[in-house]
Amino acid sequence: MKKFVPYLTQKPISTYHIIQIVLGIIFSVYLLWRLYQVFIANPTYGPDTWARFAISGIVLGSVYALIAIGYTLVYGILFMINFAHGDVMMIGAFGGYFVFEALSFVPSPTPANPEEVFLNAHPIISVILAFAVGVSVSALSGYLLERVAYRPLRNAPRLVPLISAIGASIFLQNAAQLLFGAQRRDYTNPEQITRGQGWGIPIGESTVILTYTGVLTFVLSILIMLGLYLLVKRTRLGRAMRAVAENKSTAALMGINVDRVISQTFIISGALAGAAGVMWGIHLGLVFHFVGFLPGIKAFTSAVLGGIGNIPGAMLGGLFLGMVETTGPAILGIDFQLKDVIAFSILVLVLIFRPTGILGEVLSEEKA
Amino acid sequence: MSKRLYIVTAVLMIASMVFAACGPTTTPEPTAMVEPTTVSEEPTAASEEPTEPATGGEPEVCTSDAFGCAVIKPGQTIKIGMGGPMSGDNAAYGIDSAQAARIAVSDAGEFNGFTYELDAQDDLGTPEGGAAVANKFVADPQIVAIEGHVFSGATGAAMPIYEEAGLVMLSGSATNPGLTQNGSKVFNRGVFTDAVQGKFVAMYIHDILKLTKVAIMHDSTTYGQGLAEVVRDELMALGTEPLLFQAITPGEGDYTSVLADVASKSPEIIFYGGYAAEATVIVNQMDQSGLQDAILFGGDGIYGTDFIDRTKENGEGMYAASLVPPASEAVTAYNAKYEAAYGQEPGKLSPYSWTAYDAAAVLIQAIESVAILGDDGNLYIPRGALIDTVRGTKDYQGLSGVISCDETGECGSSGPVFYVVKDGDWVEAPK
Amino acid sequence: MKTQLRNGLQTGLAFWLISAFLFLIGFTDTAAVLFGDIIHDEDLRPGFGLTTGMVNMLFFLGLLGIWAGARAARAARAPGEALAAGIAAGLVHGLGVGGLAWLVGTLHESKVRMSTYLAQLLPETIQLFVLEKAPAEAAAWHFVLLLATGFAGGLLGFFLGRPGWREAIAAGWRQLSSHAGSLSTLQRIRASRAFGPSLAVLGIIVLFTLPLRLDQYWNYTLGTVGIYVLLGLGLNIVVGLAGLLDLGYVAFFAVGAYTVALLTAPAPHKLLWSFWVALPIGVLLAALAGVLLGIPVLRMRGDYLAIVTLGFGEIIRILSRSDILTGFTGGPKGVLNIGGPQFMPRLFSNEINFLYLILLCVFLAIFITVRLQHSRIGRAWEAMREDETVAGAMGINTLQYKLLAFAIGAAFAGLGGVLFASRNQFTGPEDHNLMVSINVLAVVIVGGMGSIPGVIAGAFVLKGLPEVLREMEDYRIVLFGALLVIMMLIRPEGLLPSSRRKLEVHQQDPNQPDEPIRGRL
Repeated sequence: MKKFVPYLTQKPISTYHIIQIVLGIIFSVYLLWRLYQVFIANPTYGPDTWARFAISGIVLGSVYALIAIGYTLVYGILFMINFAHGDVMMIGAFGGYFVFEALSFVPSPTPANPEEVFLNAHPIISVILAFAVGVSVSALSGYLLERVAYRPLRNAPRLVPLISAIGASIFLQNAAQLLFGAQRRDYTNPEQITRGQGWGIPIGESTVILTYTGVLTFVLSILIMLGLYLLVKRTRLGRAMRAVAENKSTAALMGINVDRVISQTFIISGALAGAAGVMWGIHLGLVFHFVGFLPGIKAFTSAVLGGIGNIPGAMLGGLFLGMVETTGPAILGIDFQLKDVIAFSILVLVLIFRPTGILGEVLSEEKA
Repeated sequence: MSKRLYIVTAVLMIASMVFAACGPTTTPEPTAMVEPTTVSEEPTAASEEPTEPATGGEPEVCTSDAFGCAVIKPGQTIKIGMGGPMSGDNAAYGIDSAQAARIAVSDAGEFNGFTYELDAQDDLGTPEGGAAVANKFVADPQIVAIEGHVFSGATGAAMPIYEEAGLVMLSGSATNPGLTQNGSKVFNRGVFTDAVQGKFVAMYIHDILKLTKVAIMHDSTTYGQGLAEVVRDELMALGTEPLLFQAITPGEGDYTSVLADVASKSPEIIFYGGYAAEATVIVNQMDQSGLQDAILFGGDGIYGTDFIDRTKENGEGMYAASLVPPASEAVTAYNAKYEAAYGQEPGKLSPYSWTAYDAAAVLIQAIESVAILGDDGNLYIPRGALIDTVRGTKDYQGLSGVISCDETGECGSSGPVFYVVKDGDWVEAPK
Repeated sequence: MKTQLRNGLQTGLAFWLISAFLFLIGFTDTAAVLFGDIIHDEDLRPGFGLTTGMVNMLFFLGLLGIWAGARAARAARAPGEALAAGIAAGLVHGLGVGGLAWLVGTLHESKVRMSTYLAQLLPETIQLFVLEKAPAEAAAWHFVLLLATGFAGGLLGFFLGRPGWREAIAAGWRQLSSHAGSLSTLQRIRASRAFGPSLAVLGIIVLFTLPLRLDQYWNYTLGTVGIYVLLGLGLNIVVGLAGLLDLGYVAFFAVGAYTVALLTAPAPHKLLWSFWVALPIGVLLAALAGVLLGIPVLRMRGDYLAIVTLGFGEIIRILSRSDILTGFTGGPKGVLNIGGPQFMPRLFSNEINFLYLILLCVFLAIFITVRLQHSRIGRAWEAMREDETVAGAMGINTLQYKLLAFAIGAAFAGLGGVLFASRNQFTGPEDHNLMVSINVLAVVIVGGMGSIPGVIAGAFVLKGLPEVLREMEDYRIVLFGALLVIMMLIRPEGLLPSSRRKLEVHQQDPNQPDEPIRGRL
């Protein structure tokens, strides 16, 4: 016998669904045609170029993934978009920058090279130190941000903490500009991991370079993400976070200190952003006051893509977005200038047509 | 609000609009330009006289001048405005030009008891910033001349605004050829144009470096794209077809995918039309994108200490254009002054130190030749006459060479000189 | 006592961080200049090897010290406790700032160029901060100053915090004023029916004759304020009346600006139409854009709507800047020589006339907004804003009204864009970035959502004030960000809110445990 489904919960097929399906089909057809063009009919790029695109995409994607997890964590608990998250990443990037700069002046002469500096003599320690400082500074910022700008507004209508977040973001960006100047700064990597150097892999007609910094970034991201996943699934803190995300008042009744858990969430999310910031600096080299803006939005796109509130979703979303950004213009045949348009378009389309994301949980009306 | 209030409001609004429209006009009606009158300088002893009631000392030339006179009262400064990027990645250019102009202003000393002042404003080097700064300057009655703007994009956007207000412009660094081709009467420049620069670049690549696989990239700005287009056209005229002509968006951190795309065509040399900020990022990412063996060639926008500091070893062997002032006592003296004041040799921050100084000096000389000291102690500077005087500058001996303006406003003389990075410094490239 | 000491230490620490931050962003310089302008003490000869600038800076720091002490003493119940708290705060504050002065001074003496890393630490700033003395001496000066002011602040805070003295003064004032008879003349005027309208008429007369007396620069500034009032009114309809948070508002502004640009400028299309023709076209196209943008986002709420609209705004900006559309939009170089309005045979672009045009448009917008607010449409919007589901249940076609809100709001923005581009004679893609949307949103929120006087106040404060305080040019944006946060913390309903909005904002959510919304500085 057919399962009895109450009439009122049957969703009628609305125009939205039809438009969704039609657009989806049109786009898939176009995509398939382009893939055919690019790979088979009219190959514009050799396998070496594709390898380069892919490597770029994966590395970039892993950075986005880290930042996206931060967004997801905060949204899952507080249902607010932490606009200032990208700027927390910027703070972490600056932290790492200053560590490298400082260490590049500390002399540590070796018999081989009397002019040697600490940075090059002990690269591993330097990198660890940079990460430590970057992560702590941004974790602290995340904590302060929550205490000052978000906690007092927890009961206010939705608009109010959003404006506060926007204000905090603007404040952080411009404070950084005033403090450190508006010019872009380059990370002084230890020599052993100079940007652009890596293992050469002959593919196709030329050698594709798998950069040291790229590998470092990717491996570290995966490790961090695994660690976070374990944290959320296996530890008490993780359980507490999930409980608070489910229902704050019930969690409070169960004896969980909601305020503390929220603070800890912000600290963790800040730490993740900080790690991402340092990685950004090491791999791409650029750090300046506005560096967090675009990656922040793209990371948010990744989080939404994967289903906001869903951690594995954020990771996958980040990697996906990174790949799309680097290979998209090539595949779709549009100018490379427009890769940001791709990211924003994905954001808009996903939010309009599938706000639950790819792996998403079903969000109730209140949460959406 | 009550209905009566609406009616009253509406009536008032219409009345005031009509009143303003029919009232005395402040927009000038174009009349024939007046010949600049030579003024005999009356050495006045005291400058800060307490303001006496104006005895109607406005000279006749002010009423007949198309744009009227700027009136500088005793105690006020004669202001020269400058728009340039003072913050952000390209701050080095704006700051350098402002510093050079300040030396010129202090060298000029006093004029009939009035001192000069440089009002340098940040226009971010963008057209939007240029227009905003221009609107500000036009509203300030003490500003009589504009040095700039420093970047071509900002200059282009600001030009119509100055044209309408009758403010003369003399730029020491805006190189885009189109700027003097639109019939502007107020804009002049004391530096080579990109038409010249592009031609030299193409010749250098073709004849001296003898490279045929050329990729061209630019940043879509007026300057960058303009220069890139000239280089492309000149290369094609010389028989080399560029492999591609690609725009990038300035401000991104990751150009590896664009560069991978370029690398797939295996160029030997990439010409980049744009500024140092992006060029350094590109150079740093060239290796990992498959462009290990290619060299980067840039225009005057790339030259400077920024490039070397930020590319370190990756920058070795890259080319850029700059200007070198012909050696003279004046240049040596200026270099010493600049270094004493700012702790750095001129020409390091940007190539435009000398042309910026010259621009300010020419403007000051023109001001002094048309200004009239009225009986009431005010200084009257007829704007239209000033525009003509600057345009008519001939055989002015400047630091960067002889400055003579033709009828379109091109005043500069020296062409670009190419430099290459060797051992961490810019050295002149072999001819 | 322990709490007092702890309060003191915590406050001292917080204020130390704040003072250090202010120094590092170079604000000590600016504060000195600002105070100098206010107090006009150029002729002061303070001695001790100090200049007036230094005295001003010390004055500023002293005020911070007093504030620290006052805040530390907030929980004190006796003067002794207050003193203890104040001294504790002053001690930490003073040690911190003194230590900083010593550090900076020593580094500076060893010729370390700190400005490579901390951009504001130019030699002049450092010299001012260390009072041009040896590092140890400067540190001592700061320490003593902040300790003393902490002490004073503690006492001051204690006495100001005590209930009673405020009521005493108020009672005294009432006594004085009531002596003058049952209803003073002032009160009678206020109560009369003609008061409101005649004040309005007076205001309008002033407003319309003012531009004739001001110079170009102020006219230009007032014009900018006016345009932002216009934009604010439009966003007010979308956000304040209909409750839809739109972060991509600048897209409509861009449509209006580019319409007038492309229709009246000689390049890239050589259309050279008249401004008066382009204006209604711009407004209509913007309204159309509003509808088009509204359709896909109809079903979204809150944060998601904000992000989607932000995405749309950015897409439009990037597209208008890109190569492919350069032929159509003029690309990154923008569009030059935008035409101005002609009235009778004369070109209109003189500032005063433009200002009148802007004022005219603002009044039109106010008129439309007021009529809308008090109409069925306005009430429908209010119902939707309060609770969409219930509004739908009451028979309001929410989709239709949302689209209407978007369209009207967009039309206002389009009008603003037309005026802005025409006045600037130029427009380019960077004129239409996210910050414009955020600025307009701030005007509405800080001024008071849903209230017209609020929007006007917001525009004056956020756009007019920075022009007045020119020395603070560099700090404009950072203050803007801080202002947003602070306003949300202490007065989220805005400066001049509508009374309804005030109630809404301070409503407690029944599901959450009671928590005060008001933070304290």
